[in-house]
Amino acid sequence: MRTLLRRSPPRPRSDAALKRHKWYVPLVFVGPVLILQGTFLFTPLVNTFVLAFTDASTVGGGTFVGLRNFTDLAGDNEFWAAVGRTFIYMAFTVPVIVALSTSLALLVNTSLRGSSVVRLLLFSPMVMPLATIAVMFQFVLESDGLINQVLAGLHLITEPIPFLSSSDLALLSLMLVTIWKGCALSTLITLAALQNVSTELDEAASLDGAGWLRRTWNVTLPQIRGTTILVAVLVSIAVLRVFAEPYIITGGGPGTSTETIVLYLFQKGVSPGTQAGYASAISLVLFVFVLAIAAVSWMLTKRRRA
Amino acid sequence: MSGTPTREARNTEQAKPEQRRSPHRIDTGQSCSRGEAILRWTLMTIAAAVVLGPLLWQLSTALKGAGESTSGFLGSLVPSDPTLRNFVTAFTEIPLGQYLLNSTAIAATGVAVNLVIATITGYALARIPFRGRAVYMAVLLATATLPFEVILVSTLLVTRNLGLQDTLLGVVLPQGVAITAIFVMRQAFRGIPTELEEAATVDGAGPFRMFLRVMLPNVKGSLAVVTVLGFLDSWDQFLWPLVILSDPDKYPVSVGVQYLSGAFSADQRVISAAALVVILPPLLVYMFTQRHVFSGLAGGALKG
Repeated sequence: MRTLLRRSPPRPRSDAALKRHKWYVPLVFVGPVLILQGTFLFTPLVNTFVLAFTDASTVGGGTFVGLRNFTDLAGDNEFWAAVGRTFIYMAFTVPVIVALSTSLALLVNTSLRGSSVVRLLLFSPMVMPLATIAVMFQFVLESDGLINQVLAGLHLITEPIPFLSSSDLALLSLMLVTIWKGCALSTLITLAALQNVSTELDEAASLDGAGWLRRTWNVTLPQIRGTTILVAVLVSIAVLRVFAEPYIITGGGPGTSTETIVLYLFQKGVSPGTQAGYASAISLVLFVFVLAIAAVSWMLTKRRRA
Repeated sequence: MSGTPTREARNTEQAKPEQRRSPHRIDTGQSCSRGEAILRWTLMTIAAAVVLGPLLWQLSTALKGAGESTSGFLGSLVPSDPTLRNFVTAFTEIPLGQYLLNSTAIAATGVAVNLVIATITGYALARIPFRGRAVYMAVLLATATLPFEVILVSTLLVTRNLGLQDTLLGVVLPQGVAITAIFVMRQAFRGIPTELEEAATVDGAGPFRMFLRVMLPNVKGSLAVVTVLGFLDSWDQFLWPLVILSDPDKYPVSVGVQYLSGAFSADQRVISAAALVVILPPLLVYMFTQRHVFSGLAGGALKG
């Protein structure tokens, strides 16, 4: 090994040493991914743009209809209600998850005895299948479910709260499930950032007589702002795609009060609907929303670095 | 430019998960006051209760006999006559065993596809220069932000046209490329010193021998991370299997349990038992691998 190392130039250029590969070598390594992505990513992506301008059905057929799907969509009140609902969902869950996971991360960022068990517990919902969690919370939120039992037992309520059967409350109830599950990963990410914060500034502020709250708010949290933004963006995109919670727990009901964008897309394009063309138009609008969030996050990070 | 790869490689080495401080194990080195300790313990107990509560209640329901009510106040939280019969019923009267088998097959195939793809692609992106590599990297990063739901209907059509509806490959292949996994492997391969590669070249190793014998043994840790994350991801999958599978006998656990809970007026006790069985495998994997896998995951997210 030593003789070999002596032969190599002092500052090795890996690329130059490797350029001698035969033409088929890179192909062997990237061929499989290109075939898979070509079939299941690029083809469907291009096809989505094509289908959106046809009246295709998932069972076959389809002719070019120009912009009709989009003009129909523009006047589709049920769709825009679903869009509004999804954004309300976002407006509520994102700040709550960010605030809660930051607080939880600050709380468990300690070497107190027992805190490692609490951390293990707090992070665990992140690996539990969302669909199964949703089934579980269906029971928890029912009129004779866990939450109503606890509230009744504490004599806080006399009538069970209709978490799932009231069209005013159902969406909020679903948000609870998203928050319960979503806090786990967010807390983990935030805690990892907190641990990279140096304690020196905190100690200096402490010597200056700043209390815990002021030190946390003015010294610690500003240092992890990048991570906080990252968590907010990750949660926003996840919530834009929310599907399993309404599909499993309420089926979009009562009425259409918990119908979200992806649930509506599913109903139009997969089951019971078969309108591939119309669903593709919905997909493209969803895509625009995702791009918008990505753009906002990009601007936020850029402003921070500048 | 010539110095760039080396510098980046060094950065990657420093950022190896093993050397990073794990969010699971914390030693602040400072003791806190008694008041603070009590306050923290109280709040941590409440947080733990909120996470544990629904799970324990689920367990309590699953252990209740047919005669015992699942409602009523917490007095009935502890089953008066705990029984495992619901767990048995979940396997005998509803096809939980079949679902578990399906999920295991999907997870095994999915992890294998994901592992092979992530490893060879990550290796090419890290170590094999080819025309268009930079462009392909940019395309990969761009597609990472594309939510699967956007191409859901089109993917259904493509998969169906290939005759893969209701097949194992139909479930696995469209989700077989995990971009995160590719980048995890790329980072790992970049961290291997160039000297090792040059030494092997001088020893006469061809590109494939180099990959299999020299490079792969050096990234075992990352292979483990990709395997664990791939399994968890596969177990969690819901929307795609729901869309592509029309035969309930082929459902994986996540789709199966929700199908049963809604298909007929199912016994809440049995569904609770089944749900707990479904949650258990990923939970065990998490408990056994958390220190190695998830501290790295959190650190990776920070860099992005």
